[in-house]
Amino acid sequence: MNVSRAAVPNLCAPNEEAHRSMEKLWKPPPGLIGWLCDTNHKHIAMRYIVTAFIFFGLAGILAFLMRIQLARPELHFLGPDLYNQFFTVHGSTMMFLFAVPMMEGMALYLVPIMVGTRNVAFPRMNAFGYYTYLGGGLLLWIGLFLNAGADAGWFAYVPLSGPNYSPGHRVDIWADMITLTEISALVGAVEIIATVFKQRAPGMSLNRIPLFVWAEVVTSFMIIFAMPAVMIATAYLAMDRLAHVNTHFFNPAEGGDALLYQHLFWFFGHPEVYIIFIPATGFVSTIVETFSGRRIFGYTALVLSLIATAFIGFGLWVHHMFATPIPNLGRSFFTSASMMIAIPSGIQIFCWLATLTTGRPRLRLPLLFVFGFILIFVLGGLTGIMLASVPIDLQVHDTFFVVAHFHYVLIGGAVFPLFGAFYYWFPKWTGRMLDNSLGYWNFWTFFIGFNLTFFPMHILGLHGMPRRVYTYVAETGWGNLNLLATIGATIIGISMSLFIVNVLVSRKRGVVADANPWGAPTLEWATGSPPPAYNFYFVPVVTSREPVWDEPEKKPVVIGLSYTIREVLNTTIIDAVPEHRYELAIDSIFPLLLAIVSSLTMTFVIFTPWALPIGMFFAMLVLFAWFWRGNEPQPLAEAGVARPPPNANLPAAA
Amino acid sequence: MITADTQTIDVSTLPPHVEDHRSPIWWANVLLLCIETTMFGLIVATYFYLRMNFTQWPPVRSAVGLYATNPDLGFATANMIVLFISVVPMALVDFACRRHNERPIQIGMTVMVLLGLVTVALRFYEFSGVKFRWDENAYAAIVWTTLGMHLLHLITGTAENFIMTLWSWLKPLDAKHVRDIRVGAVYWYWIVGIWIPLYVIIYFGPRIL
Repeated sequence: MNVSRAAVPNLCAPNEEAHRSMEKLWKPPPGLIGWLCDTNHKHIAMRYIVTAFIFFGLAGILAFLMRIQLARPELHFLGPDLYNQFFTVHGSTMMFLFAVPMMEGMALYLVPIMVGTRNVAFPRMNAFGYYTYLGGGLLLWIGLFLNAGADAGWFAYVPLSGPNYSPGHRVDIWADMITLTEISALVGAVEIIATVFKQRAPGMSLNRIPLFVWAEVVTSFMIIFAMPAVMIATAYLAMDRLAHVNTHFFNPAEGGDALLYQHLFWFFGHPEVYIIFIPATGFVSTIVETFSGRRIFGYTALVLSLIATAFIGFGLWVHHMFATPIPNLGRSFFTSASMMIAIPSGIQIFCWLATLTTGRPRLRLPLLFVFGFILIFVLGGLTGIMLASVPIDLQVHDTFFVVAHFHYVLIGGAVFPLFGAFYYWFPKWTGRMLDNSLGYWNFWTFFIGFNLTFFPMHILGLHGMPRRVYTYVAETGWGNLNLLATIGATIIGISMSLFIVNVLVSRKRGVVADANPWGAPTLEWATGSPPPAYNFYFVPVVTSREPVWDEPEKKPVVIGLSYTIREVLNTTIIDAVPEHRYELAIDSIFPLLLAIVSSLTMTFVIFTPWALPIGMFFAMLVLFAWFWRGNEPQPLAEAGVARPPPNANLPAAA
Repeated sequence: MITADTQTIDVSTLPPHVEDHRSPIWWANVLLLCIETTMFGLIVATYFYLRMNFTQWPPVRSAVGLYATNPDLGFATANMIVLFISVVPMALVDFACRRHNERPIQIGMTVMVLLGLVTVALRFYEFSGVKFRWDENAYAAIVWTTLGMHLLHLITGTAENFIMTLWSWLKPLDAKHVRDIRVGAVYWYWIVGIWIPLYVIIYFGPRIL
């Protein structure tokens, strides 16, 4: 029984009976149908996390197979065709099916608890987002197993990906996978922003929002303004390719333009890097604060850095296109913007270091992963500054130097913090700790394996080894460094296996975690581990930035929310003053049905444009049913609404 | 566990729902419109980017002796006017929602559905006024895509209005659906508003550029 095991007992159910009736209210009915109708944010988020991790593993296996192919010169383990499919599906999976959904899954689990509410603002839409993502992922991977794996690179440049050079349906599958996963990403982003804007606990004004939540809000805004670009780019591409539609967006013979595709793609693609990286900075800020045992240094500077990164992140996309004929003015602009983004990143790193050096750091596993992150990410940042300069970029364009750079940035910048986050929040999810010594093995094999794999790629790139070519001749002399990289990849594989074993074993047999095992300050530790379905029996009132460090036994609470309908408290956007109560939608099967209709539509539109109107028709039917089968209607409010609660000024005492 | 001396905020006196911009769904709609506006912004960017590849915009077509390839203004302008007019009943419904006035909502929403059907029908005539098929060149591709993408919104908005209208006639007025209608109104205003620059670009762009 987890109720007594919370750091802030004030927020828990007063007795077992109260706990049970609330669990019943906030849980779906038992059985398969109930499972499919489930809209609890923790369950949906855990599906995101597990699914994204499975895709991470699958894409990792593809990477390992590619490393075997490259281990020695002129191997024929994979042919060129299979190699093309593997690197494309590897990259696309890591970006679209692992990184973004994983970060959103983490947010959808943690953000509602961190801001002190009971579920996300739109629980049904949340479930729809997950199933759509799953549909996109299945489309890409079933394609690969049917020998129709996308094979034009993860950014599918035209004209290679156009109708003339990529006949068949491989690229179509890729384009429609993008559409489905981006719908899901957008849905998640709207969900997160609306939840944070409107459902924060009373007193959690903007300057008291946990940094992880800030990071996810900024990321969600980036998703909203970046993802439409890739949807438009892939929609044009799909229309150019689709029989009976055959537009000419990218066909130069009819006035189309191949560079247009690159602009649209990278207008999404560069912000995408920050969409992956900014949530990771949220993990880092959280972990650094907890293990330093002091308030984070430079909270405002950190928040402003996140926002600055988001803005500058939209002004960098052309640096992916330095090897194309763009005006010199453009090159200079995008070079300086690319260098400018180092400023907010630098501010963040210095704030973290200042927090660590002025606190009393305890070196636990999550913090170790953060150290790994700082080291690797700084190295990736250094090659980033090199690549921002046009002359160097032209030299190493499309070589393994670029491959080394972005793996340092993405694995260093996102995957290391993510693993830190896994170790950090595993006790929250399961009530048990991950095994410590296996964890150390996991970290050191990952760290060593990673550097062994990717550091040699810098040198290979400088020696001119091109990326995306399935083999090389012995005379190039690249064999030994490649062998080293393959050995490194093997070590990473071992490391990941250790992690999976650790999770599977610790889940059932790990050490039972304390209520607040790391001594963390944020609200997710105020409730039980794992949290009850309703998160908080009494919604907390927040009086400081570190609500759990701050006199937990005297925590003021909200009373008067319903215990018979799924009701949450809505507060004002800036000051989080209680504003109104809000009934959340009940569980429903229609999100799943809508996702099935969308996925089938995007599958059949590969073959015929008629799939679109037919799919739209069925989607509308499902939406009508979704709308019609909602909650019990609420009576109209009386005129002259909104009496503020008598003691609404309580949280002002900070 | 809370005790007698635990400080509390009692929210039971707060309204159980709101029907305006304080509602989460209102914000979700605004965020959706941010997404959609970005998409149309990129479509406009595409339009001007592709313009750079042409000496004549729209391209001339000598084969069939058709030199005047500017898109027809007639149906397009008629549709723009219908869209402008549609804002009036929508706003009236919006005001009626504020006063919880059932009959004007029912009638206004029915008018909205009819006007929506008119704009959808007019849009199909607009397609016939584009002097190219979508698969003839890049100009045709972007013009058809712009018209088509906006058509999707007209259909969606009208379908949404239709289901709301059905609800308003069949069920008693309740707070949730009053709010939904008002959020739907914001969506409709946006559909009309976004078409103003798009209409100018699609129909007057070729005449000016």
